[in-house]
Amino acid sequence: MSAESAATALLRSQVDLLDFIDWSGVECLNYNSSHPLPNAVKQGYREDDGLNLESDADEQLLIYLPFTQVVKLHSIVVKGPEEEGPKTVKLFSNREHMGFSNVNDFPPSDTAVLSSDNLKGHPVVLKFVKFQNVRSLTIFIEDNQSGSEITKVLKIALFGTTVETTDMKGLKKIEDHQH
Amino acid sequence: MVLEATMICIDNSEWMRNGDYTPSRFQAQAEAVNLICGAKTQLNPENTVGVMTMAGKGVRVLVTPTSDLGKILACMHGLEIGGEMNLAAGIQVSQLALKHRQNKKQQQRIILFAGSPIKHDKKLLEMIGKRLKKNSVALDIVNFGEEDDSKTEKLEALLAAVNNNDSSHIVHVPPGPNALSDVLISTPIFTGDGEGGSGFAAAAAAAAAGGVSGYDFGVDPNLDPELALALRVSMEEERARQEAAAKKAAEETGKQENEGEQQSNSQDTTMTDQVSAPVSEADTKKNDMMDEENALLQQALAMSMDDPGSSQDLRDTDMSDAAADDPELALALQLSVQDSAKDSASQSDMSKLLTDQSFVSSILASLPGVDPNDPSVKDMLASMQNQSEVSSSNFIGVHQTLLVLIEYGVYSV
Repeated sequence: MSAESAATALLRSQVDLLDFIDWSGVECLNYNSSHPLPNAVKQGYREDDGLNLESDADEQLLIYLPFTQVVKLHSIVVKGPEEEGPKTVKLFSNREHMGFSNVNDFPPSDTAVLSSDNLKGHPVVLKFVKFQNVRSLTIFIEDNQSGSEITKVLKIALFGTTVETTDMKGLKKIEDHQH
Repeated sequence: MVLEATMICIDNSEWMRNGDYTPSRFQAQAEAVNLICGAKTQLNPENTVGVMTMAGKGVRVLVTPTSDLGKILACMHGLEIGGEMNLAAGIQVSQLALKHRQNKKQQQRIILFAGSPIKHDKKLLEMIGKRLKKNSVALDIVNFGEEDDSKTEKLEALLAAVNNNDSSHIVHVPPGPNALSDVLISTPIFTGDGEGGSGFAAAAAAAAAGGVSGYDFGVDPNLDPELALALRVSMEEERARQEAAAKKAAEETGKQENEGEQQSNSQDTTMTDQVSAPVSEADTKKNDMMDEENALLQQALAMSMDDPGSSQDLRDTDMSDAAADDPELALALQLSVQDSAKDSASQSDMSKLLTDQSFVSSILASLPGVDPNDPSVKDMLASMQNQSEVSSSNFIGVHQTLLVLIEYGVYSV
């Protein structure tokens, strides 16, 4: 439990990076056009469990999220259904315009294997040291829990802090230590 | 106005020597490629198009995606026919070429000309299609040339695998009298999913209807729409007039046509003096107009009278306001205007005719907008009658005549 509380305490200083996503440059490959990326990422849509991001031709998804400023990424929440939710998620920081052909060309900044706990909304803490200077994030969903043809994602949320400016909202949440 | 990068895959295999599409399958393909490049670039100036061959010595990219039409047209020359088409490798290479496009915001599209039989099996094609869809590449297939059941089936399967929201299309072009490019113009490949491209398609269709080599009057409607319109209208009115003139000609024994021919012969030297900057475009137009100069002149005059609301009249009033008071200024204006190639060509034709005084007076009298009793007209006529046959005087007299005509909004500059 102490580990849990430590994790949540850390989380309190982190901010939902949704506001810092540069929507004009957001790309998603291999998604089903009736279930596009904003369903999983945008405010409001991602809370709606009826709307989800689905893959199209096969079970892999490649999501590219640029940020409006440099951020440090702390943790990530990926929610999905029990069966078709993502399993292996690879994160690449600061790699532009990746395609499925070159995802395996360089090692990811971090890899997360999602458990059913994670799929319910429990955040995955990342290797913070690798995400100190993130301008863009590429999320590669390699496979899903059940190995089915389609991967479904209900929600993707990123938590971290910004580098250049101090976020006033984040400061309020901090109780005894500052960043 | 979708921003797109397109790779065109040409089939230059042995099967393209066949002549069931005029003039040969390969030529028909080349024409279609040229049209597509033009259409894509017109749809959006930032669109890029690249070209590659699938047969010959091997799969080869001739031009990487570029918006420079000249490069694309140039690379189509000197292409050799031979070998066998390698569809899978061709698509793979196009995908790679598109992946490395400069502007990552462009949508990716491949246009495939499938003329020869396909040796890959359906499974492989479906996998290729899936990979294209995964990488959000759209595919347009032009199925022509060799026809066998499995080829059509395979291409349909490929399309089904790629198709995402109807962004990919297939067109079957059977051999026949219509050119490959004509058939393609009306398809979504050109019209870009129903938006934008219809303007280019309409212009291309009109041009194609005008003749295989292109345009009716040696003038490209896209380059110079006003001139093309003027010429076309004058041709139509010429036909109407010639019927009326035919009746007159019986009485006058074709006097007017003789005058026109004499002037064209005797005034050649005058014409060469006057044409200051012989631009090739002007030469073309001059040659065209020399053939029908008399008739066209009348029709141009008639047309500008009939069309008072046009912008041409606005320009006329500008000129006449300046010219009305000061003849010398008007002459200078005239000369400066003459520097533009188009005007010099038209005016030289005019001047040849106008040096014949009787012809001029008859024209002036017949024009409804001109009052022969007007003092300026009378002065000009008098000056023309007094002038000698020296070409320079003719020159000036002609210009004065032109000024008067401009003033009356008759002759458009």
